[in-house]
Amino acid sequence: MTPVIEVVDLCKRFGGIIVADHVHLALGAGEIVGLIGPNGAGKTSLFNLISGVVASDAGSIYLNGTPVNGLPIHGRARLGLSRTWQTIRLFPSLTVLDNLLIAPRLYAGESLTNLVLAHRSLGRARKELEARAFQQLEKVRLADAAPRRPPELSHGKQKLVSLARALMNDGNCLLLDEPMAGVEGPAYEAIKEVIRAEACAGRAICIVEHNISFVKDLCAWAVFMFNGRIVSTGTVDTLIENEELAELYFGR
Amino acid sequence: MEYAASVLILIGIFAILATSFNLIIGYGGLMSIAHPIFFALGAYTSGLMTIHFNIPIVAGMLCGSAVALVASIALSLPSLRVSGDYLVIASIGFQLGLLQIIKNLDWTGGPGGLSNIPPLIETVGWVPAVVYIAIVLLCALAVIYFVKWLVSGDYGRAITAMRDDEEAFKALGRNAVTMKIVLFAVGSGLAGLAGGLYAHYFLFVTPEQFEILYSAGMLTMVVVGGLGTVWGPALGAILLEALPQAINFLKLPSSIMAPLQGILFTGLVLIFLFTRPQGLVGTRAAPLLPDDNGDAGAEVAMR
Repeated sequence: MTPVIEVVDLCKRFGGIIVADHVHLALGAGEIVGLIGPNGAGKTSLFNLISGVVASDAGSIYLNGTPVNGLPIHGRARLGLSRTWQTIRLFPSLTVLDNLLIAPRLYAGESLTNLVLAHRSLGRARKELEARAFQQLEKVRLADAAPRRPPELSHGKQKLVSLARALMNDGNCLLLDEPMAGVEGPAYEAIKEVIRAEACAGRAICIVEHNISFVKDLCAWAVFMFNGRIVSTGTVDTLIENEELAELYFGR
Repeated sequence: MEYAASVLILIGIFAILATSFNLIIGYGGLMSIAHPIFFALGAYTSGLMTIHFNIPIVAGMLCGSAVALVASIALSLPSLRVSGDYLVIASIGFQLGLLQIIKNLDWTGGPGGLSNIPPLIETVGWVPAVVYIAIVLLCALAVIYFVKWLVSGDYGRAITAMRDDEEAFKALGRNAVTMKIVLFAVGSGLAGLAGGLYAHYFLFVTPEQFEILYSAGMLTMVVVGGLGTVWGPALGAILLEALPQAINFLKLPSSIMAPLQGILFTGLVLIFLFTRPQGLVGTRAAPLLPDDNGDAGAEVAMR
């Protein structure tokens, strides 16, 4: 079976800093994989390379078998790649509902010709879209926040909304950049539940996270990155019990 | 009377120019200073077509608008594919170069300008003047309502999101480049329409009327009225067209009058930038100024 996301021999350097050093990674449908390592290891950079925010120097990226190296950010998203950001990045001027309505893989409203010529079918599509947006908000138990703007919500709730926004893309690849940073209390369990359910529905999910117990709970296996290299791959337990890796993580 | 009529018509024309410029810089977030050249393309195309090919004047105006629209794509397509910043420089070259070409061609009238443009309606007497004022003001209203329709609803949601955080917008699968090219084309086409309305009332156009400096005047209208608001630019156009005219009635000697008008313009811009950067009708911080929510910047810095 073709992996959902496959990274082959990916390299990237910014001047003297190497953020991806011959990285290989393959994720299948339904898999949840953790990406761990100290700050500056290249975890977020790997997400930026995969999603097209940053162009790679060498190597290939495949999405469901399709090479995406030449595609711009939006082209990759339209192939089913969805991501969240370390710093949330919701649209502050839009309501929570509008933040979700803008996020499906294909959005008929961004084409002016559609707007003029297909006015009626667009109205019908909007109703379906709204129903889907509320479904995603229900998943993170934030349906009542729909009419509010992101800055009015707590940090944790904003994280949940950004996860719901990423789920509006019905593709099968999800990259989550520190979904738990700054999240406490009931939101913690909610996020875990949602991620598990999405994996069961067939998404391949890759998570960058410093909260190791969270990674341990969710991920069957994880990769440890350091200086742009994948140093080790294995179950989370074997990775955190390895003394060498612990040294790399925490310093000597 | 004729003077008052021409002031009202200029207000209408500049309301269209400022509103369409706002679509480009306020909503599209595109830094361009080539707006006067699209105004010129509309005026010259419509003037030349009606003089030489004897086509109906309304058809000439539509051609002028279409030429401005197509020319804008020729400018934005190559520059926006490289980067947004490149557009500023490309637009300077486009504005200066094209105006030089107009100045140096025979069939455009050269530096002396294009005269004998046929009028849309005979403008002798006060009845046609009132009719023309009504036409221009109705066009201005139509343009404002068109922009209002464009920036609300499904398309408006996309515009707002793009303005808030372009990279996050793109990562959702939205094509920001196409949207910007469309906004730039629509705004430029509307400037072309304003050019047609100008040419067929004043019946005479010269290259000086479309100099690069006029983009500063249009920018002033947009900023004073409210960048990224529907009614702001039109309000700015009324204010900045009417105010200098109003002081004409003070009957000051012209040696004082000209500098006074200049001071008024620049003074207003300075006052507004310091005390009310969101403009007269804006309710929130101007979208192009950095806001206190520095999330997007932080993400970039981290890479």
